[in-house]
Amino acid sequence: MDHLTRLENKSIYIIREAYYQFKNIAMLWSVGKDSTTLLWLCRKAFFGHLPFPIIHIDTSYKFLEMYQFRDERAKEWNLNLLIAKNEEKLKGGMGPGQGSKLDCCNELKTNALKSVIKKYHLKAILLGIRRDEHGIRAKERYFSPRDSQFKWDYENQPAELWDQYQSMVEEEEHFRIHPILHFTEFDIWNYVKREELPIVPLYFSKNGKRFRSIGCVPCCSPIDSNAQTIDEIVEEIRISKTSERSGRAQDKENIYTMQKLRALGYM
Amino acid sequence: MKKAFIIGIDGVPHSLLSTYIENGIMPNLKKILSQGLALHQINASIPDISSVSWTSFNTGVNPGEHGIYGFTDLKPDSYSLYFPNSKDIDAPTFWEILGKTDQKTSTLVQKYHKKISHPYRSTIFNVPHTYPALPMNGILVSGFVAIDLKKAIFPESAYTYLNSINYLIDVEAEKAKEDKMVFMKSLFECFEIRKKAISHFFKEESWDLFFACITETDRLHHFFFDASNDKENPYHEFFIRFYMELDKFIKILYERFVQRYSGKGFFMVLSDHGFAPVKKEVYINRFLEEKGFLFLKNEGNFYERVENKTKAFSLDPCRIYIHGKDIYPRGTVRKEEKTALLEEMKKILRGLKGENGDEVIDKIFEKEEIYHGPHTRMAPDLVCLPKDGYDLKGSLEKKEIFGYNIFKGMHTWHDAFCIIPENISFSQKPSIDNLTEYMIQYYSQ
Repeated sequence: MDHLTRLENKSIYIIREAYYQFKNIAMLWSVGKDSTTLLWLCRKAFFGHLPFPIIHIDTSYKFLEMYQFRDERAKEWNLNLLIAKNEEKLKGGMGPGQGSKLDCCNELKTNALKSVIKKYHLKAILLGIRRDEHGIRAKERYFSPRDSQFKWDYENQPAELWDQYQSMVEEEEHFRIHPILHFTEFDIWNYVKREELPIVPLYFSKNGKRFRSIGCVPCCSPIDSNAQTIDEIVEEIRISKTSERSGRAQDKENIYTMQKLRALGYM
Repeated sequence: MKKAFIIGIDGVPHSLLSTYIENGIMPNLKKILSQGLALHQINASIPDISSVSWTSFNTGVNPGEHGIYGFTDLKPDSYSLYFPNSKDIDAPTFWEILGKTDQKTSTLVQKYHKKISHPYRSTIFNVPHTYPALPMNGILVSGFVAIDLKKAIFPESAYTYLNSINYLIDVEAEKAKEDKMVFMKSLFECFEIRKKAISHFFKEESWDLFFACITETDRLHHFFFDASNDKENPYHEFFIRFYMELDKFIKILYERFVQRYSGKGFFMVLSDHGFAPVKKEVYINRFLEEKGFLFLKNEGNFYERVENKTKAFSLDPCRIYIHGKDIYPRGTVRKEEKTALLEEMKKILRGLKGENGDEVIDKIFEKEEIYHGPHTRMAPDLVCLPKDGYDLKGSLEKKEIFGYNIFKGMHTWHDAFCIIPENISFSQKPSIDNLTEYMIQYYSQ
């Protein structure tokens, strides 16, 4: 069995296990390459007929291309797509220009997700995070319990040895399930290539720049790149050493700290 | 029964405080100083940055022991910048020592550990560089740079109260760029909230030691220090009013403390560094570039841009690191070349002159002269202190050596202050980390 098939099998096993254990689950789809890969794997796991809804947390600040891609795929793949928005905060003018980016992210993403979990009584959420994305992710489990406050007690997690997963849930808790945790960025692109997966065009180079990671417009910046095809991206990733998220204001605390220090002339 | 009350006032210079006490702006402080307390000028930590200076006070040891050298530090293996926080402090704080929750060691602990008879409970409020709030014996609310209020509070139960008063960790200094008057008003509002919270914890909680910091003064000085003694300045009146309110608040706290413990406690007020008006900002990395010590490529963030041929670079405010072969992947300076390179750099730095031919650099220290302890190895190889008026900066983006910014005040090393019981005398001018021991002594008697 080749490397990508092995990765795929493991993911499909976890997706099926999650559905079997929890039934009332959903998948979080950011429309980026990772969660689109996860969506593809979910479709494979259930032979094209997804037995659970797909949630898109819409901050309303996403790229136009992302909305377009989302709606086209939803139609083509016949998805039960739930769009979650923090309408109240958006009406109040919440956005990256107002207050801190941390507050914006917290309100428009985290709190929107909290209310959708509550509304649909979801027991588990499938997410497309990968272990190589960021230092803190190294501590993630495939089955990762969160309490009602969304807290992740990473010092007190079940061990996951020999593919034995703790997938029982306490009241008031929900599980985050990470079926593609073992994929690297390099694997994702190779998999996208092998499966001929459609992908948001923002990942391809335009005028010498492309996005390596996409999210909200104000918090993303493109990298210098001439990669216009999947093959060229694969080659670029193979030789690249900088972190994928270096173009993204995703390390929220660091960005906020930097802002604070800058404002006082300390950086 | 031992009780101590400590007020930290960020960035208040000894010189300004003395002037304000003399000319009647701070009458209450004057009165307090006639009741068994004395005012001293002290030195800040080196560098004179709040996170370093307060950590030196909090632990009673120098950066070579506690490991904090600035708001930013560098990971040598990747050249990436990171922000040290409370978890990076490698010596126990005095509240950990007194609370007997210390898990680390330091020269101070070794000296006093056995002399503290039982655990003391502390309330630590708004002290810089205590984020995230770590478990301790008492209550802790972190100060600058704290990001998420929930992570800034120990125990969690204190969150409900702070949230109910719309507590603010800090003013939004970003706003000063847009509208200085609005920013000035927000300083007063923030101070009000701070006072409210301090009074609440003073009254409602049980403690043996209370340490509260006021950080608004530092912000006031950064943006308005030129208004401190200039009656023509449009913000002068506000500046004075801030100090009058500060004077009143110190009085209220002092009287409550004296009343509650019938004058038997240990009372102390101190600042972590001084302030002086800024003439010019000085971009040390640009200077190093022009002198052929530093080469930067265009790709990468911050210090990832450092190229092979680089011999030295500087982190804020003026921490100079030799690009040694033994420490950095792209480093080229060999160990045996270091001494000569340091001498050469010192000579060139001393030669850095302002517009009128005046000296910019006041003092240059090699790390072994000022730091001692297990973290000395990772300390900057040289640290410079400027003449007042020249604010040294570590920016990598500048194209000129000298420049201006919106800031009106700069930190000074030599002009911090403390007010402590008058029976404590110093044989030489104390540094901020020397003061901690007097407080611990009080509890060990």
